[in-house]
Amino acid sequence: MSIRSYDVVVIGGGMSGLMAAIRLSQNGKHVALISKGDPVCCLSTGCIDVYARSDNPMDGIRKLPESHPYHLVGEAQIQKAFENFIDIMFETGLPYFGDIRSNRKILTPLGSAKTTCFVPCTMLHAQTQSNGYMHVVSFQGLKDFYPSYITSRLKNTGFSVFDAGVPTTIGIATRFEDRPFLQNFIAWLKTLEIPDGKIAVPAVLGIDNPMSIIEEIESELDRKAFEIPTLPPSIPGLRLFRALKGVLQAKGGDVYWGKEIASVEKLDHQIEAVTLATSGRPSRVEGRAFILATGSFISGGLFALRGNTVRETVFDLPVYLPGPRDTWFHEDFFTAGHAIEQAGIQVDASFRPRQADIENLFVCGSILAFSEVMKYGCGHGLAIATGDAVADMCTRHIP
Amino acid sequence: MQMIKTDVIIIGGGATGCGIARDLALRGIPHYLIEKNDFAAGATGACHGLLHSGGRYVVNDPDAAAECICENRILRKIAQKCVEQTGGLFVRLPGDSKLFRDRFLKSCEEVGIPAEVLSPTRALDLVPTLNPVLEEAIKVPDCSIDPFRLCMLNAVSSRNTGGGILIHHKVIDIIKEKNRCVGVKIQEQFTSQIKEIRSRLIINASGAWGDLVARMGGSFVPMTLSKGSLVISNHRLTNLVINRLRPPSDGDIIVPNEAVCLAGTTSITVSDPDTIDVDPAEVDIIASEVESMIPAFGTTRLIRAYTGVRPLLKAETDDSRAISRGFRIIDHKNGMFSILGGKLTTYRLMAEKMTDTIIAEFGLKTSCKTAEVPLEGQEELSGYPLSKRLKNLDDIICECELVTRDDVERIINNIGTKYIGDIQHRTRLGMGPCQGGFCTYRALGIMQEMGRLTPSESMEVLTAFLQRRFKGIRPALWGDQLREEQLVEYIYLGLLSMEQKA
Repeated sequence: MSIRSYDVVVIGGGMSGLMAAIRLSQNGKHVALISKGDPVCCLSTGCIDVYARSDNPMDGIRKLPESHPYHLVGEAQIQKAFENFIDIMFETGLPYFGDIRSNRKILTPLGSAKTTCFVPCTMLHAQTQSNGYMHVVSFQGLKDFYPSYITSRLKNTGFSVFDAGVPTTIGIATRFEDRPFLQNFIAWLKTLEIPDGKIAVPAVLGIDNPMSIIEEIESELDRKAFEIPTLPPSIPGLRLFRALKGVLQAKGGDVYWGKEIASVEKLDHQIEAVTLATSGRPSRVEGRAFILATGSFISGGLFALRGNTVRETVFDLPVYLPGPRDTWFHEDFFTAGHAIEQAGIQVDASFRPRQADIENLFVCGSILAFSEVMKYGCGHGLAIATGDAVADMCTRHIP
Repeated sequence: MQMIKTDVIIIGGGATGCGIARDLALRGIPHYLIEKNDFAAGATGACHGLLHSGGRYVVNDPDAAAECICENRILRKIAQKCVEQTGGLFVRLPGDSKLFRDRFLKSCEEVGIPAEVLSPTRALDLVPTLNPVLEEAIKVPDCSIDPFRLCMLNAVSSRNTGGGILIHHKVIDIIKEKNRCVGVKIQEQFTSQIKEIRSRLIINASGAWGDLVARMGGSFVPMTLSKGSLVISNHRLTNLVINRLRPPSDGDIIVPNEAVCLAGTTSITVSDPDTIDVDPAEVDIIASEVESMIPAFGTTRLIRAYTGVRPLLKAETDDSRAISRGFRIIDHKNGMFSILGGKLTTYRLMAEKMTDTIIAEFGLKTSCKTAEVPLEGQEELSGYPLSKRLKNLDDIICECELVTRDDVERIINNIGTKYIGDIQHRTRLGMGPCQGGFCTYRALGIMQEMGRLTPSESMEVLTAFLQRRFKGIRPALWGDQLREEQLVEYIYLGLLSMEQKA
């Protein structure tokens, strides 16, 4: 058996786990991050929804029910967490833009407007409230993007279709990493004689350097260009995740990827170690403190059984449930916030699970009870804020 | 207003209505069939697609059982492409009555249902997923049948001989002259355009809606509506139909259907066929009952629940399980006939009797041919075979069921539909684990590109689809299906930001 020891072991490689692990590294802690695979973050738009149900996210957060985990973080730390996120992303070459006090509306593939707070550089000009002409570019055979959804709903728009030779978002994004392909694409755009205005492209403009690709398109065409997020798998989500993972590794964090936790060792009131299921010899990862950031149902942090039971999948912590199964869902698909979204781990003021009697375990992200991320439109925002807060709690716990 | 004249109007595009249309066609009688939805939208499409051997009814209702085995043999012959000759088992578990088993075997012999007793070992050889504690199993010629395909093929015969088939048309009124029903006023559901059809006779084959239609004609039909709910598993857990060897009860049938299994049913008396839902408790009952026959069912992902309303003959009893599954033809003496009761397995026989009545009414003597002439158009069925679907993997729109862009475009061109459901029924688009979570957005995008839908229409269709889809998924949401549902919710309400209600 191989044994490695860390100050802190973070379980879960999504937004909250990555942000907690990075913050701990910044605080000088030796960190391990364990993830069973690519996180749900890779399915996301890459945009950071902080609180999408009001114009000013901070105002909205203030008005959230008392039980909401944002209140455990506190306003000052929320602001600090997003400043830190913006700084980190700037250094990665995938800068994010936005204002914690003002939401923006960006164009979706359905031609509707999505409310979000921070957007990646490639969506800087994706705001829907502008009057000029917009030209949508699509790709031959791309099954998750239909420009007619947009052009038929919005006035003063047109579209053209480029043949990239591959029909998938990931395939096209990979091709954009080739300079000749990009040059071809730009040459083709120039032949279109598009009226003055903006150019909108589904989010496939490269994987590693979208910033330079979009800048080149903008300077060659002499007009603004932006990306529209697409259905999963989503390139902007993938970029965000890869960038953060890279930051953590650059800061000396160890990443255990594709590993599930086979067992947990607990002594008295402390988690001592977790053992990873690997194809070779088992591997034991020890920590002075642990962070649970495995997300809600979609990410596998929670798992519902048929008989009114929800399990927390790593430590088997007690899970708060809003009621029996017949109360979990509204009858209406479009009514925001099914009751089951409240399910999760209830924590004390220092983010430690209640009624679990474990002193060195901290919980962050959407696995927290009452987080209701769909209802409030606060998924990545809550992950960043609670990840940051939990990292600081943890740092204080192990001086 | 458009005015059409014909001899017979059939109201209802379920198996009975389509069967009557075909029978009339083969006997040369001009007719129109009116269906407010797609084919098989009522009880026909909401059953488990079991072509009964008769075993289920043999102890309590031997007459119905005799009809079943006779029709079972006919349909295996005339509707080969709709029937999968799976065979079926009646499984006896510890505690199930031995006396019932003896009566079952004796009745099978009397009625003429081939029944073979299998030891647990032989039963497990046939169906390895069976609960190994079983006492024994009895093999009967149960089959799996595709009700939608069956309706479509019956309609093909009718179309070929000039019959009019109008789906997505709702009867909004019955035209009466001197207290006689002489025609119908119908409305095209998407455009709201109104047409009139005049006829010599009207047949009310609208199943659970039978009384509502009869009342439009100034009469009524006494019926009991019995809701039956079912669930769909993500895997084909058995290659044979599995029944419990006991008097009919909840959750005692599981039928293999292409790549999945359909399990049910429940039986609850209801009053309104338009406002029925599956209750999560019904899903629990079905799941735990089926689990006792096939333990793996308890850990298999359930992808949807659905429910239909059995239009049963009104009886003295309150117990809807005890009401006969036989059928009845009612002459309202006003130019309208109603046909009600019965079941999918005997649809052809029902159609034959109904058509015989009409022929007599018209003073003709042509005899029924539907028991001998195979359904037309079977050779054109695309069918599910994986070998066919794997041929073209380039442009897959629905990854769960391997439906290509070509398939979708062909259906849209052929039937000129504006309904996503029409595409789903004809291609299996959206029938897999994500239940159309991804592919519906795509299919509607294609319909828009083809100019079939305006943007506002496509939003309406998408909204209605997501509501209907959620209604089916909601009662069985736990485990991996709950994970999938959170993703679909994120896509439509988060990423695509469709309008939410407060």
